[in-house]
Amino acid sequence: MSAALRSFETQWRARTPDALQPIREQAMQRFLKLGLPSLRDETWRYTDLRSLAALSYGEAGCAAGGATTGDAALSLVDFKQHAATLTMINGCPLLDADLPVVNCIEINSIKDIYNRDPSQLRQFFEAASDADQRRWVLLNTALFIDGLYLKITGAVATPLVILHVSTGVAAQAAHPRVIIDASPGASATIIEHHVSQGDIAPLNNSNTHIALGRDAQLEHYRVYATGAGATHLDSLDIHQAQDSQCRQFTIALGGGLVRSSLEARLNQRGASLDSYSLLVGHQERHVDCVNIVTHAAPHTRSRQTARAIASDVSRVIFNSKVIVNAGANGSDSKQSCRGLLLSPSAEIDTRPQLEIHADEVKCAHGATTGRLDPDMLFYLLSRGLDRETAQSLLVFAFLADVLTGMSVSSARAAIENALINQLPDAQILRKFR
Amino acid sequence: MLEISDLTARVAGKEILNGINLTVKAGEVHAIMGPNGSGKSTLAQVLAGREDYEVTRGSVTFEGHDLLAMRPEERARAGLFLGFQYPVEIPGVNNVYLLKAALNAKRKAAGEPEVDAYEFLALIREKMKFMQMSETFLTRGVNEGFSGGEKKRNEVLQMLVLEPKLAILDETDSGLDIDALKVVSKGVNSLRDPARAVVLVTHYQRLLDYVIPDQVHVLSGGRIVKSGDKSLAQELERRGYDWVMGAQVA
Repeated sequence: MSAALRSFETQWRARTPDALQPIREQAMQRFLKLGLPSLRDETWRYTDLRSLAALSYGEAGCAAGGATTGDAALSLVDFKQHAATLTMINGCPLLDADLPVVNCIEINSIKDIYNRDPSQLRQFFEAASDADQRRWVLLNTALFIDGLYLKITGAVATPLVILHVSTGVAAQAAHPRVIIDASPGASATIIEHHVSQGDIAPLNNSNTHIALGRDAQLEHYRVYATGAGATHLDSLDIHQAQDSQCRQFTIALGGGLVRSSLEARLNQRGASLDSYSLLVGHQERHVDCVNIVTHAAPHTRSRQTARAIASDVSRVIFNSKVIVNAGANGSDSKQSCRGLLLSPSAEIDTRPQLEIHADEVKCAHGATTGRLDPDMLFYLLSRGLDRETAQSLLVFAFLADVLTGMSVSSARAAIENALINQLPDAQILRKFR
Repeated sequence: MLEISDLTARVAGKEILNGINLTVKAGEVHAIMGPNGSGKSTLAQVLAGREDYEVTRGSVTFEGHDLLAMRPEERARAGLFLGFQYPVEIPGVNNVYLLKAALNAKRKAAGEPEVDAYEFLALIREKMKFMQMSETFLTRGVNEGFSGGEKKRNEVLQMLVLEPKLAILDETDSGLDIDALKVVSKGVNSLRDPARAVVLVTHYQRLLDYVIPDQVHVLSGGRIVKSGDKSLAQELERRGYDWVMGAQVA
């Protein structure tokens, strides 16, 4: 047993059982039995966790760091343009007297809800699964201290920001948990922004569960912007009912090791998912992104657009899989992943996959990785643009499919700004904006 | 203005240009004709500075400067313009942005201030009207989703905005219907000026009914095998390239 596994077991034994005990118990037993994922596991073959496994982890507590609240520098969205910011420190929501009131969003702590009525949340905790991409979710379920439960009951016009602050040392682990529950017909934009205080942070094992009722619409962002020494394992589960629409943006702009997974289930007819991933490899960063989209009902639609850029000695991996269940006729899916290498020592691996068990489906996928197109570059040079400008323009053009999909303009501007700082020729790019 | 002497160039290890000699003076319009594979487009690309085309012998001077020693962007700023045969689509780079960046690069090289935004828009609108282009073009990506004819108009529009000293137009007439051909010709003619020169690379004589050349050259096997005035183009149209190629063999 690895040092990490032992330390998680110790934490587990030290806990006081709570109202979720049966769910937690089951998850922890599976986790201990299966152990940490290794390179032999299908979705982990590109990410080596051995150095992580060698550490012993303590619990990253809910220290209320005063400096983290309301810090404009950490905010991704212009404060005039969003409904509210909710802060979570190491997974613990700061729900004090100043809690913002947002029309049509009920904001609660998960703990409060399950202490009152555990049955209310049961549907949002999935049965313990042996699938290797869900390994860390098991641990999150077992050990999370508290989390946010957001119930969206109507149309919310302005975005809500969840600021996840990670603070502490590398030999600690936090398990942030967020549940977003959109009632039938409700609509909202929610931005989860992950930051750390300093370069070093606890192991961050976060999970978000999104449930969209009939006709509900959600635009959801998760932006990874932790320090260069931080390890972040993030998972997102999306369950969609009839005619619901989800637009999801995964933006990797920070962290040393980032593992990001998305599992979406289109459970009823007419459900539609647009997933956008912008994965930026910079310096020594390792970004491993896994998407699994299941068309579980007829006439469901999914689009996955991934753009990966890698510079320096970074590595970016994007694996996506579309599964069309038996009977899900009329499913319509597209996967487009493109990678752009900006340095000879960087590496990008993309692998789109299809698993189809139905007859009448429309599924397309494509993946390309390369350097900047020499024809495009020559065209721009032949118009008198200098090489750095031309290259930077082409990099931005490469990302346009993801960036232009964002409807929150201030979030897009902030993301572009952060992105520019991680590209070669940052000064030149600034001039474009 | 342009002096090409014994120019020999290779693409992917294969000799395509085999000793080109050509002099283009200010105020002149030259047409370079020839069958497919004769090296017309290679010549145009080499003059614009395409890097994967290797010059193995000869020299090119542009306004007295060694053109071959200049990078593509330096050639452009010095006043050389290539109208591409197949303009590349660059989704995500805005047309107007490219035009503005190109104009400012040229102005900066000439020691002039950047163009005023209002002035620039007025200039673009005027040139677009002249080229009979729709305003929707302004917001689109460079050549993105353009038809063949729209791409060629866009090349000429860029040329009109940049006002080059030497314009090399590589088969700008190919794929155009007669109306588009007239518009494109009007654009080229508007640039005719005692201080400028134009080199038209073309497969057909058709364009030369609208843009009357001072000299016509026939390229074959990577060298100029015949030169003459505009009547040479008419004769070629009548007798076909075999006539010149036959003459070359004899």
